[in-house]
Amino acid sequence: MKIYVYGIIDSNDGIGESTCGLEKANVYNIPYRDIGVVASDLIGPMPDVTEDNILAHEDVVESLMENFTVLPVRFHTVFDAKENILSMMGDYYTDFKDNLNRLRNKVEFGIKVIWPAEKIKEHITSCYWKSGRKEVVSDDSPIKRFIREKFEKYKIDKEFTEKANRLVTTIDIFLGKSAAEKKLEKLKTENLLLDGVYLVEKDKQSNFKEAFEHIRSARTDLRYLFSGPWPPYNFVILPKKSRPLKISEQATMFDKIIQKQNPVGADKT
Amino acid sequence: MIVNRMVETDFPEEFIEEIEKSQDALPRRIDANPKNVEKGLAKLVLTLIELIRKLLEKQAMRRVEAGSLSEEEIERVGETLMKLENKMKELKEIFGLKNEELNINLGPLGDLI
Repeated sequence: MKIYVYGIIDSNDGIGESTCGLEKANVYNIPYRDIGVVASDLIGPMPDVTEDNILAHEDVVESLMENFTVLPVRFHTVFDAKENILSMMGDYYTDFKDNLNRLRNKVEFGIKVIWPAEKIKEHITSCYWKSGRKEVVSDDSPIKRFIREKFEKYKIDKEFTEKANRLVTTIDIFLGKSAAEKKLEKLKTENLLLDGVYLVEKDKQSNFKEAFEHIRSARTDLRYLFSGPWPPYNFVILPKKSRPLKISEQATMFDKIIQKQNPVGADKT
Repeated sequence: MIVNRMVETDFPEEFIEEIEKSQDALPRRIDANPKNVEKGLAKLVLTLIELIRKLLEKQAMRRVEAGSLSEEEIERVGETLMKLENKMKELKEIFGLKNEELNINLGPLGDLI
């Protein structure tokens, strides 16, 4: 019998009311020192990657979040035996403990912002042509035409990026006030101005939501996707440092422990 | 307004499209097998060359912007960049590769293309 793992929590005690996990299996806590690994028995083969199974995994993690600090573990993480889990806990205990302390009473929020990239580029281009355009080369040979076109594109792209940076900074000034940590990605696509995640203390959730509402009402030209509170998927940090594990075991382990999960899966949208 | 499992947006389709686009831009692995090993390697090599070419181009444009190049130097740089771009076009044609296939994620700098 294998063991399916959902997360690591800051308790070595029972997890309270009976919870069902994948394939309706009973979910329980495997204690290790003062923390625990939340798991269920897996009798059959590895569960398929289906929306139902992913949501069942997610449900367990989210229910844990209500009563504990939880380090979510990636979907499909299975151990052959309890001894392997305890051995993993021995190797990573300090890292897990550090993360649990850092993430205690904190939740994650996601924010994605779309801006009208095409319109903005058109505006920048027209401003570029209207004012202050600097002739980099004087005559019109093919080479000079080439470099002129490249330079114009460079200037327009540069202004586009700077405009994006300014806007993201403005958004972050509001949201960042109520956040303990953040991870922001700008312009993942031309339209996706911001893809960010914020770690927020539980008692500051309403401040964070208010800040978001403030931005939304101030900038109605932008489109928003706001999500949360989630378990801190994007804020679990496991440094890849030297371990008593073999190299192959380390690779497997690091692959198994969640380090980054998109806070907004397609299945939830 | 859609509220579903703590996710809210007025424009779900647009976000799905952008998220898919951002994921498509990142190849999960190099597509190399005995049948297309040549193309797979060419793709990898040309992606790296494209990265270097774009860096050179950007550096050149910065120098043009700063006004640190004379007109002759600008012309020389322009000729080099133009030849490089043409050579890349030829190589892409030879290996049947499109621009968007030569993409690479540069971490915090974003995608190459």
